[in-house]
Amino acid sequence: MDLLLVLNLTALLTLATLSTPIIFPLLSENLKNTPTTITNTVKTSFLISLIPMTIYIYSGTESLISLWEWKFIMNFKIPISLKMDLYSLTFFPIALFVSWSILQFATWYMASDPYITKFFTYLLFFLIAMLILIVANNLFVLFIGWEGVGIMSFLLISWWHGRAEANTAALQAVLYNRVGDVGLILCMAWLASTMNTWEIQQLSSPSQTPMLPLLGLILAAAGKSAQFGLHPWLPAAMEGPTPVSALLHSSTMVVAGIFLLIRTHPLFNNNQTALTLCLCLGAISTLFAATCALTQNDIKKIIAFSTSSQLGLMMVTIGLNLPQLAFLHISTHAFFKAMLFLCSGSIIHSLNGEQDIRKMGGLQKMLPTTTSCLTIGNLALMGTPFLAGFYSKDQIIESLSTSYLNSWALVLTLLATSFTAVYTIRMTVLVQSGFTRIPPLAPINENNPAVTSPITRLAMGSIVAGFLITSFILPPKTPPMTMPLSIKITALTVTALGIILALELSKVAQTLILTKQTPLSNFSTSLGYFNPLMHRFNTTQSLKGGQNIASHLIDLSWYKLLGPEGLANLQTLAAKTMTTFHSGLIKAYLGSFALSILIILISTH
Amino acid sequence: MAAPGALRRQRGRGRAALPASPARRGRGRAAPGAMAAYLTHQQKVLRLYKKSLRHLESWCIHRDKYRYFAVLLRDRFDKNKDLKDMVKATELLKAGEEEFWASQHPQPYIFPDSPGGTSYERYELYKIPEWSLDFWHPSEKAMYPDYFAKREQWKKLQRESWEREIKQLQEETPADGPRTEALPPARKEGHLPPMWWHHVTRPREQPM
Repeated sequence: MDLLLVLNLTALLTLATLSTPIIFPLLSENLKNTPTTITNTVKTSFLISLIPMTIYIYSGTESLISLWEWKFIMNFKIPISLKMDLYSLTFFPIALFVSWSILQFATWYMASDPYITKFFTYLLFFLIAMLILIVANNLFVLFIGWEGVGIMSFLLISWWHGRAEANTAALQAVLYNRVGDVGLILCMAWLASTMNTWEIQQLSSPSQTPMLPLLGLILAAAGKSAQFGLHPWLPAAMEGPTPVSALLHSSTMVVAGIFLLIRTHPLFNNNQTALTLCLCLGAISTLFAATCALTQNDIKKIIAFSTSSQLGLMMVTIGLNLPQLAFLHISTHAFFKAMLFLCSGSIIHSLNGEQDIRKMGGLQKMLPTTTSCLTIGNLALMGTPFLAGFYSKDQIIESLSTSYLNSWALVLTLLATSFTAVYTIRMTVLVQSGFTRIPPLAPINENNPAVTSPITRLAMGSIVAGFLITSFILPPKTPPMTMPLSIKITALTVTALGIILALELSKVAQTLILTKQTPLSNFSTSLGYFNPLMHRFNTTQSLKGGQNIASHLIDLSWYKLLGPEGLANLQTLAAKTMTTFHSGLIKAYLGSFALSILIILISTH
Repeated sequence: MAAPGALRRQRGRGRAALPASPARRGRGRAAPGAMAAYLTHQQKVLRLYKKSLRHLESWCIHRDKYRYFAVLLRDRFDKNKDLKDMVKATELLKAGEEEFWASQHPQPYIFPDSPGGTSYERYELYKIPEWSLDFWHPSEKAMYPDYFAKREQWKKLQRESWEREIKQLQEETPADGPRTEALPPARKEGHLPPMWWHHVTRPREQPM
């Protein structure tokens, strides 16, 4: 049996199965979509995608499919080529598993929505664009997927477009992603002009790659993966419904930037400056996001900042020149982050739309399955040994501690790890434990299997995914094996310190001391003052500058000063100088005659 | 920090003190319980009290701690409730507002359906006006025969009573504009209240 043929066929069949709910309604009037059919399609797609993954794991078969070539100029090839390697074949089943669970959850969450089928179709479009991005072998196909996920993100965040904040958030997402796209297009242009190719295979250069394309790629990743500087859109994107937050803004879309850096990793290999830039940018992002998450009171915003922090950690891993470890973290993170969002969605719907953790409490007895899975997800997020997050997070911190790179980045990352523990425990304590503060008459129930089975399925994934992936897929180079015990348990120690700190703070919160605003807490609450500073300052300066150019430069300068008014000024200047000579005295005029006769006599001699 | 008589119920009325409106009838006269142009001192103090209680609730997450500090806050207000000197009362109110501003919570708890909340205006896009029912296809209208059978009669009733409603509103509104947003009831036998169609055909708050 030709394994390569089966691999190619099943991989293409996965993509084809996903596009059937889009194509079939166009072919016939009778074939209408329903949310259930779309969920079942994604489930079938997931089961099919397990086949190529199994083939890859057991035989190491990779493949490259070239479908069609856009012969648009003679000397530049743009093939539509797809690469089935470790990254795409492993991420396909993970993304499809997570999407299947989220779509099943969304059949309950969005049940009261009149346009639920349109919602599911949007999610399906997003999924297809994401998978195109994952499986792309050249930057052209990747760009198609990149823009596709950006557009679907816009449409899905502004799903309830009657809300002003949802529209603002969607615009924010599009604009920040656009800033990142500038970097990607810059890199594509440089590659097209210098290396005459957009294929990932042909990207490695023997000597040091110049900084320009790498800066472009880092900008693209910063825009899409919400690194510091281009991060505000991710917390704002929580305006969308919870299934959107779970699918796009935690597991799949936001990792597209990191995935781009993983794919174009050969370019980064030999440029240490770019790697250090990634490292520092990731370290700042992870600490900043973790700081902001400490004082948030909206459960979705806490999880959004947690996502932003983990994305910073992935960027740190890229900066350590370990793309496969970053991919491992992407895979394990997808499971527990999606589950955290689904649990929060279940809690929100049960409390009739309440998202503030100050009005939740004691839900452990009322929503046992949801809160148990929330606990499992939080433990996995913190890197509890032998859950999913441990395998990737612990390895990242070990590699960071034992590398001879920036120790400032290490300190920031460790601080962010302890903050992760702090806000996670805070969220757990306020949501699940203690006496309840929920409004009465809340429709709390977990009776619907459409709620409990996705969450429990993802919980199983959060527990075993890390173990399974690391058992079957070996790292390309040996990770550091020997280190002092104190370095080995660094991650565990800082997490434990964070847990202890959080428990002490929650005890303090119950004593009769009235808290006040402090500068640090204000910094954290107002998200580092970044949003008003950037959004107001940049826009007012640009608009004022534009107004000045339009009115002063064009109207005043070009049309007036260099045209009629300027000429008139010059002429009045000349006229004013001349009038001083018109004194009316005959002697002056006789003198001027004499002067001119003298000049003529001298010049003709 | 509080004002005189603010938290004491007024005798004879079932609710807090109201601005004294001159005795006039109809839309130009503010009915008991309506809003006037200026707030009284009592209203300002009560608003400060409620604001500070809500922000206290945002700070003190656990209910027992909140109840402790809420009782202390109420006591602070109650200590000055019998103050008769309006100058001093206004100074206390101003100091109270400044203290509130300094110690407010940066992310106060906002109810989900209130302005600024997470599900405010969420279902606005599903609220379509009732005249779109006239544009339904006959096959769709056949799905609700009893409603559409009576609909024409209701529309005829609305057309007939419109003139009377407008006439009543024009008579009752004073020359420089209405004093309040509240609509008056129907005054004569057999008349319908003004703008009843607008109220009856308003969209539902949450979609089905």
